[in-house]
Amino acid sequence: MDVGQMQRRLLDYTKSLFMEGVLDGQFLQLQQLQDESNPDFVVEVVSLFFEDSERLLNDLTRALDQPNVDFKTVDSHVHQWKGSSSSIGASRVKNGCIAFRNFCEEQNIEACLRCLQQVKQEYYLVKNKLETLFRMEQQIVAAGGSIPILELSF
Amino acid sequence: MPEKALEIQPITITTPTPNSPMATPPPPPPCRTSATPDSPIMTTPRRRALHRLTGFTRSLSCRRKRAPSGRRMCPVDQQDDFQQASTHCLTSYYSVFVVRLAIMIMLAILIGMLTVLTWHFTKVYTTKSLDTLAYGLRYELLQRPILRMWNILNSTSEITTAQVKLSEYVLRKYSSPVTQANPTSQAQLVELYETMKAVTWSLFQSRKALNAITINYRNGFVQAFHRDHRSNNTFYIYSDLSNYSISAGMYSRQGWNDQSIKGNISAIWYREPLDPNTGIKIGKAKPIPADDLINIAGLSQVPDGAATWDVAVSKYTDSPLLSAALPVFGPSNQSIVAVVGVTTALSSVGQLMKELVEVHSGHIYLTSQEGYLLATSTNAPLLANTSMGPELVMAVDSQDHVIRKGARWLQAIYGNKLPPGHVVHIEHAKLGKEDYYIDSFFLNLKRLPIVGVIIIPREYIMGKADQRAFKTLIILISASVCILIIGCLCILILTNGVSKEMKLRAELISHLDARRRAEASNNYKSQFLANMSHELRTPMAAIIGLLDIVITDSSLASEHYASLTQIRKCSLALLRLLNNILDLSKVESGKLVLEEADFNLGQELEGIVDMHSVQCINQDVELVLDLSDDMPETFRGDSARFVEIFSNLISNSIKFTKSGHVIVRGWCENWNAFEDSGKSLLEQKKSWCALRSKFKQQTNYVKKTCKKENKMILWFEIEDTGCGIDPAKWETVFDSFEQADASTTRKHGGTGLGLSIVRTLVNKMGGEVKIVKKDSPGILMRLYLLLNTPSDGSEQSCQVDFSKPTVVVLALGGSVGRGITSQWLRRNKVSTIEASDWKQLTLILPELFNPTNECNGSEEQPSLSEPLEEEQPLSSEEQPSLSQTLKEEILNIKAMKDQVFIIVVDIGLLDFKAGIWLSQLDYLDQFTGKAKFAWTLSHNSSSMVKAELRKRGHVIVVNKPLYKTKMIQILEAALQGRTLEIEICSSDGGASTNKALVDCDIADALVPLSLGDKIERLINSRPTRYQDFINHHIEFTDQNPEPSNSSTDSENQSQSSPKLPDNGLESGRSKSKGKEIASTSDESQNGSPTSKRQKMVSSPPKEKGSSSSSGCDEEKLRGLHILVVEDTLLLQMVAVKILLKAGATVNAVSDGLQAVEAMTSMIDSLVRRNEAVKKGLEPEPLKSPPYDLILMDCQMPVMDGYEATKEIRRMEEGTRMHIQIIAQTAHAMSTDREKCLAVGMDGYLTKPLQDKITVETIMKHLGRSID
Repeated sequence: MDVGQMQRRLLDYTKSLFMEGVLDGQFLQLQQLQDESNPDFVVEVVSLFFEDSERLLNDLTRALDQPNVDFKTVDSHVHQWKGSSSSIGASRVKNGCIAFRNFCEEQNIEACLRCLQQVKQEYYLVKNKLETLFRMEQQIVAAGGSIPILELSF
Repeated sequence: MPEKALEIQPITITTPTPNSPMATPPPPPPCRTSATPDSPIMTTPRRRALHRLTGFTRSLSCRRKRAPSGRRMCPVDQQDDFQQASTHCLTSYYSVFVVRLAIMIMLAILIGMLTVLTWHFTKVYTTKSLDTLAYGLRYELLQRPILRMWNILNSTSEITTAQVKLSEYVLRKYSSPVTQANPTSQAQLVELYETMKAVTWSLFQSRKALNAITINYRNGFVQAFHRDHRSNNTFYIYSDLSNYSISAGMYSRQGWNDQSIKGNISAIWYREPLDPNTGIKIGKAKPIPADDLINIAGLSQVPDGAATWDVAVSKYTDSPLLSAALPVFGPSNQSIVAVVGVTTALSSVGQLMKELVEVHSGHIYLTSQEGYLLATSTNAPLLANTSMGPELVMAVDSQDHVIRKGARWLQAIYGNKLPPGHVVHIEHAKLGKEDYYIDSFFLNLKRLPIVGVIIIPREYIMGKADQRAFKTLIILISASVCILIIGCLCILILTNGVSKEMKLRAELISHLDARRRAEASNNYKSQFLANMSHELRTPMAAIIGLLDIVITDSSLASEHYASLTQIRKCSLALLRLLNNILDLSKVESGKLVLEEADFNLGQELEGIVDMHSVQCINQDVELVLDLSDDMPETFRGDSARFVEIFSNLISNSIKFTKSGHVIVRGWCENWNAFEDSGKSLLEQKKSWCALRSKFKQQTNYVKKTCKKENKMILWFEIEDTGCGIDPAKWETVFDSFEQADASTTRKHGGTGLGLSIVRTLVNKMGGEVKIVKKDSPGILMRLYLLLNTPSDGSEQSCQVDFSKPTVVVLALGGSVGRGITSQWLRRNKVSTIEASDWKQLTLILPELFNPTNECNGSEEQPSLSEPLEEEQPLSSEEQPSLSQTLKEEILNIKAMKDQVFIIVVDIGLLDFKAGIWLSQLDYLDQFTGKAKFAWTLSHNSSSMVKAELRKRGHVIVVNKPLYKTKMIQILEAALQGRTLEIEICSSDGGASTNKALVDCDIADALVPLSLGDKIERLINSRPTRYQDFINHHIEFTDQNPEPSNSSTDSENQSQSSPKLPDNGLESGRSKSKGKEIASTSDESQNGSPTSKRQKMVSSPPKEKGSSSSSGCDEEKLRGLHILVVEDTLLLQMVAVKILLKAGATVNAVSDGLQAVEAMTSMIDSLVRRNEAVKKGLEPEPLKSPPYDLILMDCQMPVMDGYEATKEIRRMEEGTRMHIQIIAQTAHAMSTDREKCLAVGMDGYLTKPLQDKITVETIMKHLGRSID
């Protein structure tokens, strides 16, 4: 597979991510922030997001398993998650978090658990997609090509 | 006791009156009432009252029940308020109830007491006094027969004593000789008896009442006088003298006993009737059986020689007789010689009693102690015939039933034990069916105790009194009952008003509650909408973003492309609509807070006009801005909202105007001038014009006097020539979702929210907006705003120094704009010539520039007139038809020396259709030396034309519409021969407009990724951007007049021309322009569109990094030292990256406490350093450079952003330092923003951070603070 084809595939893939709403413009912003001084910025940030998310997921699962759910802590966890997901542009995770927080406010534990599952799924989805994306980028780099950046018209 | 009675009373009274609220049972506990069924049978008012009460309490309990489940449906304090109010109502309801009860009870007590007292006084006192009187009467009545009795006794005893004394004397006189001259002769005895007879007669005669006087001698001889009262005969009774030997045993004391008399039964007594008066014998003596007629008192009756009293009964009288006996002693006083007996009839006492009773009624009787009747007031016989002869009757056996009953009653009560003295007073003795008074009196005679009893029927004495008392009682009771009933009714009626008021109040409270709830729900609706904004805009942004992505795809078929563009347009419209609704709801929910910041009003307005002029040109509408010269430049207020007002109004006007013009006029007044009148400004319709002129005169004066008061009234008018609005709807069009005509929605679209938003905003700025009457078609919208001017009040409007006489030829298409501009120019002493079309221009120009040389003009003329005449055949005929005034003006101008000519030409005057425009330009070129040309371009002027203009050296180019500021720029540029000024001016203007728009977007940007917003913004601000773009090009040509640039231009041209052969194709153009704008605005001067186009497809990141935004951003934040406070590592990393990229030095900490610590050390070191500098010492080198700015997250563990900011601000007190703190929060509502500002933060960024906005915001804050 030649580099050009790989690049096009990468672009298509990225575009599909946007189309599906998995990612939003914030991810592009992130990509733009990456430069030669810090070539792995996006990967770093995203892996940080993964770490954060794993931790938060564990915390949330534990918090919601307790007999007396402390909705305040749950809410703050979700808030944190929402912030980090919106920062990397994982919009579906973020939307899930927004719904999650609403249920937190209502103290609706069943809905919260449902939401947690949903957000978890979204998270794994975005994780999967992003990992694939990074793998493709690595392949391109390994093949000696440059990583094309999808640019929205502004 | 009375209490109890009174307790019962109201109940007995109120029960029959069911509408009495007193009868309302106390409300049962609410929990129970909620279960009370609403039975339809409850029709009585009482039930209704109960129903109402229960309903009331039920609603209370329901609310209480609902309260916890409704998630903060209504604020707690409101509910508390209501509950308090309702309980207050209830308690007052109770209190009214209690007061009523109390008043009624008091009334009952009062009336009862009155009744009792009245009755008591009338009855008891009367009775008592009557009783006293009656007692006296009875006593008196009884006393009199007793006295009579006493008299009888006395007289009897007196007679007896007298007889005894006389007898003693007579006997003594005759006995002495007898004793001395023994033997006593018969003759002497007869003499003695004769004497005795005479003496006794005289005594008997003196006392008529005497029944009999008897003398029983010792020797058994009896002399007696007897008076028969019935036959009124008097008899002398004597025993036969012959039977008694005077000598024989006459003096034998032993032989004188009863037996001798009894033994003498056989003795013959004689009775001879006597004349009652004289005592002379009138008849023959008849012998009668002894002791037959009368009782002769014998020795047996005086056994001890003392007087005896006896009640005797005789055969011949029907009344008892009182007989007294006394012994007559002999001379020696030792022997009893005779016994004298006196008998008196008691019938006279009875007679008296009868007389008394006749007068007084009642019964009187006298009895002996043993109970034998002595006398009665009745005719009942006192004696009963028995076998033993007549005997006295006992009172209890009396034939008169009253006396019998009375006697029996007394016996029954007292028996034989009469009270001492035998005095009895009884007031109520029930004898048979009647009440009687019974009184007894005891006369204690030694030998004959007598008891008197009087029986008087009670009715006789107390009859009337008792009757009256009874009647009075009945009357009183009935009267008091009536009064009580009436009183209670009155109380009910009187207090009914109060209870009605209570009911009303309760209803009012429930209504208030309902209203409050309705308002609350309305408020929640608005709040909900406001909160929804985020959720609503996000998908819209995603849609638009994705469309953008799709549109960039080069492999699209053209029809796909067209429909995608259409979709994108629609999405944008939808987003705008959403924004409108959200704005409105934000305003309604009270979340809109106006900013207070300085802004350039003129520039804002120009920006808006620029924006809308694009639309105008398509519609053949002229948009004119006419601001008065005295308008200050800067105002303090919310520029974004200001822009919103005007863009709404202007777009509204344009929407409804098919052709003609839209004029925006503006002028200002000082607030003080209006303070006197004080009324609503728009009300002064009539004096409007007068006021206006007056104010214009006053303005200068006001400006001088009121420097301190900087509040200004800004007046604006927006006039159009559209379809107009029916005057009846002038008020309603400002309501939400209201349009003048229902059909407008179909024709023109829109939601009817625009004007509503405008009015809300205008009102919020302290102004009013109104539609004003206007003669010509269309509407005239007039509004005023109250805005503050900054205190420095620098009002320098950039006036051009017109030292040289200047002549401006305005060759503009729009007549209104041209007129206004020329007026303004003339006011500023600039000669102006107007030309409305190309033909006129061609007439004027030769006139102006070829004054002497007519042929010169005519020489040139053909080169132009040929195409002209082809185009406009008629114009040749009208060629010499310059108006007289114009000619004169031209002549005047010609008379001036050293004029500077400026010709402003509308690019629309050129004829593009037939391609004549090049020759037209050629024609104009001949005047280049003599005059300066300025061109007004419209937004759709093709770049080919622009390039041509540039090529020909027409460097002064502005965009339509032409307004004051642009005119000034043109004049300045032309007069000073520089073009740079315009660019700076205009680009500044554009930038500020952009910034304003950006700010506006930040303010309500709830979408973190404002991809769509950005695009929208770019499209909205197209004219300005475009202007920038053009100006940049002007600059290029000026600065680098090298062929390389023209090649760039031609590239540019060639790029756009093949793709866009037709100028009219809006979509294609906008797309290409979008790209161009993106490139030009993103980077500075040196980017070329072609290179960017390549880059868009695939450009190595490095190249992009070096060439694009970083270039200018690095400049922006270089040298700044920024502290990032953020707990989430990821966000911290992003923020640090953004700032590093912009060239700043960044430190990051993870919570508020660390930030405070960092600040503490910094401030400490700075203070120390300052002190050192003051002392003239060598300042210590700082460990790290001081922070210029803090980017503060709001929600953090340990110490949150608000707390940290407060702490830092506290530390700064007294150090004259103020570090800029910019908040970053995920909450995008303006309340959060206020909270941030309230704790002392300077700015506000929404997460996720976007590099451009972040850098801009930081620049804004630091730029100001550094400056």
